[in-house]
Amino acid sequence: MRFEGPRGSVDDMLSTDFRALGLEDIRGTLGEPEGPSLQKITDHLDENCLRFLAHSPFATLATADRDGTCDCSPRGDYPGFVRAIDDRTVALPDRLGNKIADSMRNIVDNGHAALLCFVPGMSETLRINGTAFVTDDPTLLRSLEQDHTVPDLAIVLRIEQVYLHCGRALLRGGIWDADMQDLATQVPTSGQIWASTSGWDAAVGDVIDEAMSGAYRALY
Amino acid sequence: MPLVVREIIRQTPDIVSIRLQNVDGSPLPAWNPGAHIDLQLITRHERQYSLCGDPADTASYRIAVRREELSRGGSHYIHAFLREGSTVWVRPPRNLFELGEAPAYLLLAAGIGVTPILSMARHLAAVDADWRMIVVARERDGVAFADEIAALGDRATVHVSRERGRLDLDAVVGGIAPGTDVYACGPASFVDALWALSPMLPEGSGIHLERFEPRKREFGPNEAFSATAARSGVTVEVPATRSLLESLQGAGVPMNGSCLRGVCGSCAVPVLDGAVDHRDSLTVDDDSRIIYPCVSRARSGETLVLNA
Repeated sequence: MRFEGPRGSVDDMLSTDFRALGLEDIRGTLGEPEGPSLQKITDHLDENCLRFLAHSPFATLATADRDGTCDCSPRGDYPGFVRAIDDRTVALPDRLGNKIADSMRNIVDNGHAALLCFVPGMSETLRINGTAFVTDDPTLLRSLEQDHTVPDLAIVLRIEQVYLHCGRALLRGGIWDADMQDLATQVPTSGQIWASTSGWDAAVGDVIDEAMSGAYRALY
Repeated sequence: MPLVVREIIRQTPDIVSIRLQNVDGSPLPAWNPGAHIDLQLITRHERQYSLCGDPADTASYRIAVRREELSRGGSHYIHAFLREGSTVWVRPPRNLFELGEAPAYLLLAAGIGVTPILSMARHLAAVDADWRMIVVARERDGVAFADEIAALGDRATVHVSRERGRLDLDAVVGGIAPGTDVYACGPASFVDALWALSPMLPEGSGIHLERFEPRKREFGPNEAFSATAARSGVTVEVPATRSLLESLQGAGVPMNGSCLRGVCGSCAVPVLDGAVDHRDSLTVDDDSRIIYPCVSRARSGETLVLNA
């Protein structure tokens, strides 16, 4: 659906000349974390985490390059696609994408990686932090087959920290509320955005959207 | 249709049986021995499972699921996370492994292949047919439904390879009386071995196989061809890199599909015109006018017209 109407503009009521705080100032404002929230961090997946992962069809993967420049990318697949190999190792398939491979380039540069896993309808998210590498192990790849497509590569994450993150952020954002999907009607389509950033005519955007809806039929 | 998992029973270290019912226990669509259901989990993983219960129990379907060493998700989910009370989605039973009329029957099952064979045996016993059944398992504790097999009496035997060595299929097939129809189900090695022995079958005997994995065969390289879905009025160019099923679905032709490996039969479509290169594991006659478009294609230089 084509979005018609004015595009965005910034709120220019504020200057961006803000004061950057040190940790001491931040602690001064927030106080110290309470005991129980620290204890929730563990170093492995227990039965509850395994059940969470088995039902999670979406995660974000955060990586950084050698200099620490960060990148965060969405990963979605059949529930359970973040596959627990054992209680300290997960693997996820690298599916069809744009082949830019930002995450994998970062992982080769700097193994630190983090996953934030979501279960639709659930407010809490599962955070998994650790050290990652990319593999082409044929047995692992075969076990990640989906819709009769075996991925070419997989990312393996050795777990260092596991943490069930509280649900306030998702609750405040209301992201599982069906009504919230109306928000998308107020945002330009990817074709419109692409055409606009490339300086092309709006009609080109429609062509791109049409092509994308065709391309999206092949997900694997 | 949504069904509720009423009971999960561990049959062997690697196999669980699962009883499914309507939420209100109302009757389910009827089925015959050999039928299977397409079962979809809440994770959207979908697999086919043979029904192995009693067709007279109209309130329940029973299936059995083996824990695969290399699970692609479905069998692992069932073993690790499915619970009594969970909901699953099931398409009504279909039968691609139906018992035909025959003067005598030899039923052969290996491993989890016991599922369709067991309901066949029970049916043949009930109608007082001339039948025999051999169930093969590697280990004694790997025999699923051992009590139910024993209850069928002397016509049913269990062969445990660990105790008695590999079952001599040559001798089994060589000893078949003329007119006996063979029904067999099991892993690829078992079914392939039987298929290789089928020329030894006596006059008037037929062999009916159900596979979990495609028959291993070599095909020439894929060629592009065009196909028309006559009812939908759509013509597609099928490139060498895509299946006919994908191409039709991509063009908006409503098509079923499940295993996508030419094993389950759910994508079957009648062919109105054109010669088919049958690459599935179901077709017996090369000139069959039913195509399984998930794997089968047009013969070289041919164009297909389908009733789709």
